[in-house]
Amino acid sequence: MDIFAQLLVSGLAVGMIYAVIAFGYQLTFSTSKTLNFGQGEALMLGALVGLTTINFLIGQKIGTFWAYLLMLPVVLAFGLMQGAVVEWLGVRQAIRTKSEAGWIMATIALGIIFRNLAENIWGRDPLKFPSPLPERALQFGPVRIQPMEIAIVIGALLLMAAVELFNRRSIYGKAVVATANDRDAAGLMGVNTSMVITFSYALSSLAAAFAGVLVAPVTLTGAAMGAVLGLKAFAVAIIGGLSSGVGAIVGGLILGIVETMTGFYISTGYKDVPGLVLLLLVLSLKPSGIFGKATIKKV
Amino acid sequence: MTSMMERNVTVSRTALIIAAALLASPVLAADPIKVGLSGPYTGGSSSMGVSMRDGAKLAVEEINKAGGVLGRQIQLIERDDEAKNELGVQVAQELINKEQVVATLGYINTGVALASQRFYQEAEIPVINNVATGTAITQQFVPPNYKNNYVFRTSASDAIQSKMIAEEAIKRQGFKKPAILADSTNYGQLGQKDMIAALETMGVKPVTTEKFNIGDTDMTAQVLKAKEAGADVILTYAIGPELAQIANAMAKLGWKVPMIGSWTLSMASFIDTAGPNGDGAIMPETFIQLPTTPKRKAFIDAYQKAYNIDRMPSPVSAAQGYDSVYLLAAAIKQAGDTDGRKIRAALENLNEKVEGVVTTYDHPFTATDHEAISANIPVMGLVKGGRVVPAHPEDLEGANALRVKPKG
Repeated sequence: MDIFAQLLVSGLAVGMIYAVIAFGYQLTFSTSKTLNFGQGEALMLGALVGLTTINFLIGQKIGTFWAYLLMLPVVLAFGLMQGAVVEWLGVRQAIRTKSEAGWIMATIALGIIFRNLAENIWGRDPLKFPSPLPERALQFGPVRIQPMEIAIVIGALLLMAAVELFNRRSIYGKAVVATANDRDAAGLMGVNTSMVITFSYALSSLAAAFAGVLVAPVTLTGAAMGAVLGLKAFAVAIIGGLSSGVGAIVGGLILGIVETMTGFYISTGYKDVPGLVLLLLVLSLKPSGIFGKATIKKV
Repeated sequence: MTSMMERNVTVSRTALIIAAALLASPVLAADPIKVGLSGPYTGGSSSMGVSMRDGAKLAVEEINKAGGVLGRQIQLIERDDEAKNELGVQVAQELINKEQVVATLGYINTGVALASQRFYQEAEIPVINNVATGTAITQQFVPPNYKNNYVFRTSASDAIQSKMIAEEAIKRQGFKKPAILADSTNYGQLGQKDMIAALETMGVKPVTTEKFNIGDTDMTAQVLKAKEAGADVILTYAIGPELAQIANAMAKLGWKVPMIGSWTLSMASFIDTAGPNGDGAIMPETFIQLPTTPKRKAFIDAYQKAYNIDRMPSPVSAAQGYDSVYLLAAAIKQAGDTDGRKIRAALENLNEKVEGVVTTYDHPFTATDHEAISANIPVMGLVKGGRVVPAHPEDLEGANALRVKPKG
């Protein structure tokens, strides 16, 4: 039982990271029915920009904890900008010409460019990210948790709650929701839908960049860090449903926990298999995802 | 009048120097001997690649300063293979066909070496692997299937390392329940196989064997399994970043058993990322950054001065890179020619004793044995306070400091 609890906690932390990135996929899909396949790269860029910023701040004799907090707005702003650039360069044209696949190629290509850019700026070595919290694990009964793992769970939930609150309460958020529900109708009601889509991309990269600086202190930062995470989060988004914020969280937790459990109870060699099996199951039984709304596409 | 005389003398002396220079120029301008250097100078294994390159450059500088080889200067043609097999192949073709190198040194990654060296074999140009450890590297083109083998090595192969790891854990330290943690790459899986075989000869079976992927961020499951299986030591075959995750996961779970593994436990990316959690890790090393012989002291001093650093990123790679240049230079000198076949023949019967950093090479290769490093040469290193020190200081004391490959 103790081991089960320990695995559950570790899976939870990993799952929440998947959830935040998947949440980013869901943001752009709801408004524009397109995805940023460079989401993993957005995460990586966020983490690396965060690393440079936090190292600069620490160089200014600011403690690691405060440096981390001060670094956050920089990274979030960078994420917003990066997402807007992706939409502007890769997606807008495809949406305007109603291209079915143009945005797929464009966002993948941009992702590769971003990765090469990062390799040239930060090099290809994995770098250590200073941890804002003590790295000593805390003991909760039989379970040991790193403080940063708790921060990941809380941070991820806060970010998603903030975005959801914004969408539901603010007038701008209402425009986002309106666009998500029916882009043409929203356009006729005077909503600048192309602006809303740009904004959703910005928010999506913001979520990814935030996930990047959340996960960086427990892993390593480097140009290649986004590839695996971006892909797994995509599976999470499919499992949970691309049209549901709750789906991202549930999907993330399912995948994270299933992975660690399989690693222990079955074999670490097959750790990634159940997640993929789950993905196939969902795709064949409920293609819109566990929490997704079934959509009928009129041709 | 005197000043006039002096000027004349000066003028004639200048003319003399110019004339001498003109006469000497055919010798001075002799084409340099081109030697290829292939390794990852960027990317995850770049600390090894860059150290290897810097060590090799140091040796080339020294040789050139002393007049070069066969009266010609050595010129290193450095190419970054980025640890990618396909790029390694491209580099090999470029070095052979375009640059027309007389030999190539390098390869950090076993996969790149295996993919690339066939081109040298076909072109009959020797390759000296100075860092890659895969056991298969020198076995690709062995006689009698091939007439001659053009692949040599100056690093400790995985066969040697896995045996040393097992011996250290079971015989020397008396552990009884080893758990093996290896990554899912060829490097990790082949190393794991070798370790299991070595353990078997000692009548020990690992209590558990766990696997993980490059880039895995959470090792809780693997470490928990080792803990639950009652392991008293963890044997590893993986590379720096993931090894650090293992050390960190152990610290997180509040469980500490010694880590003993392949020489990658001395990678800067392990030592720096794991920090205090990595202290105590033990691995086989052909060279530890300590002035235990005069040659080693001179090498360390020269390296620190040339690159303005205190801690070498990968001392083993630097030393092996440095030694590989001297071995090649000795072979070219003995061959009296830069023809690949003659250099290969000279390497296989090297009469000159080459005093290197790792060891003194006395007939290091034969026609059938292309491994310069024998099992008695490496010693166990230990991570301590961010550096690698000898795990058993007596291994490097007095007469033990210089370990030489046994004859025959």
